[in-house]
Amino acid sequence: MALLNTFLLLLAALCIPGLINRTRALLAGRKGIRFAQHLYDVRLLLHKEAVYSTTTTALFRAVPSVYLGAAIVAALLIPTGELTPLLSFDGDLVAFAYLLALGRTALILAAMDTGSSFEGMGASREALYGMLVEPALLLTFGTLALLAGYTSFADIFNDGLPDDVQFIIVLLFAAYVLLKIVFTESGRIPVDDPRTHLELTMIHEVMCLDYCGVDLAYIKMAGWLKTASFAMLAANAAAATFGLRWWVAAPLSVVLTGVAVGVVESTQARNKLARNTTFILTIVALAALLFFTAYLLQLNIAIQ
Amino acid sequence: MLFLYTLLFLLLIAVAIFAAPLRCKAWTALGVIAAGALWGIVRAALVLGGGSQPLLWSLPETLFGGDTGSMDLLSALFVIIISVGGVAATLYSRGYLEHTLPQKSTSHVSLHYASLVVMFYAMLGVVCSDGGFSFLFFWELMTVASFLLILYDAQRREVARAALAYLIMMHVGFILLVVGFVRLDAACGTGSFAALADYFREHPAMPLYTVFLLGFGMKAGMFPMHVWLPEAHPAAPSHVSALMSGVMIKTGIYGILRITAALGDLPALHTAGVVLLVAGIVTGVWGVILAATQNDVKRLLAYSSIENIGVILIGVGIAALGKASGNPMVALCGICGALMHTLNHSLFKTLLFFGAGNILSQTHTTSLDNLGGLARHMPLTAILFLAGTVAICALPPLNGFVSELLIYLGLLDGIASGSNILASAAGLAALALIGGAVVLAFTKLYGTVFLGAPRTHEVAEASEVDNTRITAMALPLAGILFIGLFPGMAVGVAARAADFFVRTPADASEWLMGPTLTAAGRTVWLLIAVVGVLLWLRRRLLRTRRITTGPTWGCGFTTTNVRMQYTGESFSEGLQSVARPLTQNSGKGAPVGKGEIFPDAHSFDIGHRDRIGRLFAAWWVELLRLINQRVMQLRTGKINHYILFALAFLALVFLLSILNVI
Repeated sequence: MALLNTFLLLLAALCIPGLINRTRALLAGRKGIRFAQHLYDVRLLLHKEAVYSTTTTALFRAVPSVYLGAAIVAALLIPTGELTPLLSFDGDLVAFAYLLALGRTALILAAMDTGSSFEGMGASREALYGMLVEPALLLTFGTLALLAGYTSFADIFNDGLPDDVQFIIVLLFAAYVLLKIVFTESGRIPVDDPRTHLELTMIHEVMCLDYCGVDLAYIKMAGWLKTASFAMLAANAAAATFGLRWWVAAPLSVVLTGVAVGVVESTQARNKLARNTTFILTIVALAALLFFTAYLLQLNIAIQ
Repeated sequence: MLFLYTLLFLLLIAVAIFAAPLRCKAWTALGVIAAGALWGIVRAALVLGGGSQPLLWSLPETLFGGDTGSMDLLSALFVIIISVGGVAATLYSRGYLEHTLPQKSTSHVSLHYASLVVMFYAMLGVVCSDGGFSFLFFWELMTVASFLLILYDAQRREVARAALAYLIMMHVGFILLVVGFVRLDAACGTGSFAALADYFREHPAMPLYTVFLLGFGMKAGMFPMHVWLPEAHPAAPSHVSALMSGVMIKTGIYGILRITAALGDLPALHTAGVVLLVAGIVTGVWGVILAATQNDVKRLLAYSSIENIGVILIGVGIAALGKASGNPMVALCGICGALMHTLNHSLFKTLLFFGAGNILSQTHTTSLDNLGGLARHMPLTAILFLAGTVAICALPPLNGFVSELLIYLGLLDGIASGSNILASAAGLAALALIGGAVVLAFTKLYGTVFLGAPRTHEVAEASEVDNTRITAMALPLAGILFIGLFPGMAVGVAARAADFFVRTPADASEWLMGPTLTAAGRTVWLLIAVVGVLLWLRRRLLRTRRITTGPTWGCGFTTTNVRMQYTGESFSEGLQSVARPLTQNSGKGAPVGKGEIFPDAHSFDIGHRDRIGRLFAAWWVELLRLINQRVMQLRTGKINHYILFALAFLALVFLLSILNVI
């Protein structure tokens, strides 16, 4: 079961970028790139030679492995529907958040290692947005823990979440907040634009400017895994409203994220940088509201 | 008698240090401290291993109805913290002070080392004392010794200022503690911590609890009494900063733990829990945001100490709430998390301050905007500092993660089990914010100091420090690695010490936290294995390929120079724009305006100061100074005047007693 879970998550991680690209192409009326183009791109990168900046140290070369490693271990904590993940323990919610923080810290340090002002800009923004999104993430996890009465993903999604009809709105709300976190964490419009990297307003892409070949491939793969982990959590929360099953949650995670990101990227422009802070603080406020709603509803049911 | 013996003992040590030749003073002090540390660690290990808790001293005939000293489980844990920190700091001081020795007089150096020894033993005395007079005696001894330690570079004006501010603030705290112990003694007939439990049972607990909390909070650096920390730490030599920040402020936490454990009444405990949680949240958030905006290595580290005190207080607060609502899981996780974080912070903060000392002694600056690229010139320091950075950011696989995981577990369990939901959620959100901001603060620190290219030529010519200092840094590193990689064993010790706070069956901690810690340990090892495999894979893939090097890509701009790198100030500029209300900005010169298309030469310097610090520069301080100035006119320096004053005083007393006023 754990292996099926890991396989599904991996599949979702490979499919989401493809679906995003196809959705964008469809909405723009273009023929667009093929579904698996991102896989070919990474294969190409894996065959390339390497160029390193003379300013960088050994840290710069080790970071992509740490970034990908942290994303892999974090993804192993995520259940698909009611399946049990490979790793599961009380408080793994926190381990998930901190493993991703480890990856983020590593990438920020690598960006600072190049001594370039562009990458410094990206690093500074990534650190700020990462800091602001953290309370939203933990509050959403806290809401799930409140509803389920457990503190590990596996227990929460296995049998923890209440099937009371009053909680449907809370779970959908949680899925919405998690989806918004997907946008910020995977560097998508409106927070960041993954398509260009030369403008001064970039965040994630500009941090990887000096990476190429195998290292860049690692970073790209870590990004897919990160997106898929959050997408799966959002899908789980949404699917929990009508009986959580893995064969619902897994496709839902791909479709939900793929279409949502694709549609937003086709219809919206990137935020001005100053508005990014507001955007992320709005997510925090939403998460606080979510928690409070769940609390009041639970109180109400307890009184009844 | 204890005081006579203590003073005699310390006098002997002082004589030994004063008599030792200049080069050997550090080794003499190290020998004396290592002996104490060895004794302490062996004793603590026996106590934590379940041995008896022997009486260390007993004084039936002192103030406050007799004094005793003993080492219980909580004391044992703190004795370990003090011993490790003390030995590491003394070992480090040898190399660190060596280049200053020719400029200082011999007695000056002797005084410094004698104070170091006194401070070490005074801290041991503080945590082994059962309260009352001996506690206050050691507490005061510790304060005075640390005051002398800060004054090592007394010729610098800001050092003298900071030391004086420290002394004054510590004595305000001391007076509060005296008031607390006198009140306790008046009510119960004895001033020990054991009597505190009786007092809290029979009298309204909150007033006395508040007095003690403020007194201990002053030492710990609790908001808003933290203002001395960012002044004193940059002023003190680095090993003293390490000792003060890593170990000494923890005696404040020790006091807070003692008084909170003495609260038996559940409503009072609940109130105390809420107070501690709120204090922790405010202290933590304030500390970390100020830390992230600082541009000086040591100031940044000092503010981060405040933040860590906040994290510890959040743990204690949630533990008190859990105990008050009868939830042993929350109480145990909270208190174990707090104790572990106390230990962890003492390890990584010691390491980081030593790193700051290396930077200062090799480059003669601690300003972030002048450093850069040190990883190439000081590789060992860079690696050790990186370990400290990862640990303080609470990232797996190092020790900070273990303690924060426990505190998070307490908070999440408080939410999941339905007790104290809102308080736990507030703690959860605050801890998450703190965690994120620490990453910002320390990536800024590490990134601008060790990575990139050197910003000045002094930095470019820096060399690695001597091996004693590296050894001193390896000592805390060993603890960091051990706790991070084998969390189960380390937390087992903290769980035993937690017995003072919440009485649970012997295997309860194993049963409640064991599975999580084992799994967390496994996750950490898995992480290391996965990263190892990925590194190996990368190496294999690149083995047959050509690897070239070139300049950093300048995005088409060809004449980049090192001054164009992102500085500390620019790194935290985004945070500044969010957190403006917390800091008071002082700017010299003007930045380049938006309308200037072809700007000419600009000079712009910006600093971010604590808004709370301004309270101490308000009008009433000025008034106090003016009054003081008037009073100082009486100090004429002439004996005849002084005799006249004495006569006037006697006449005043005589007059007042005739009028029946006194």
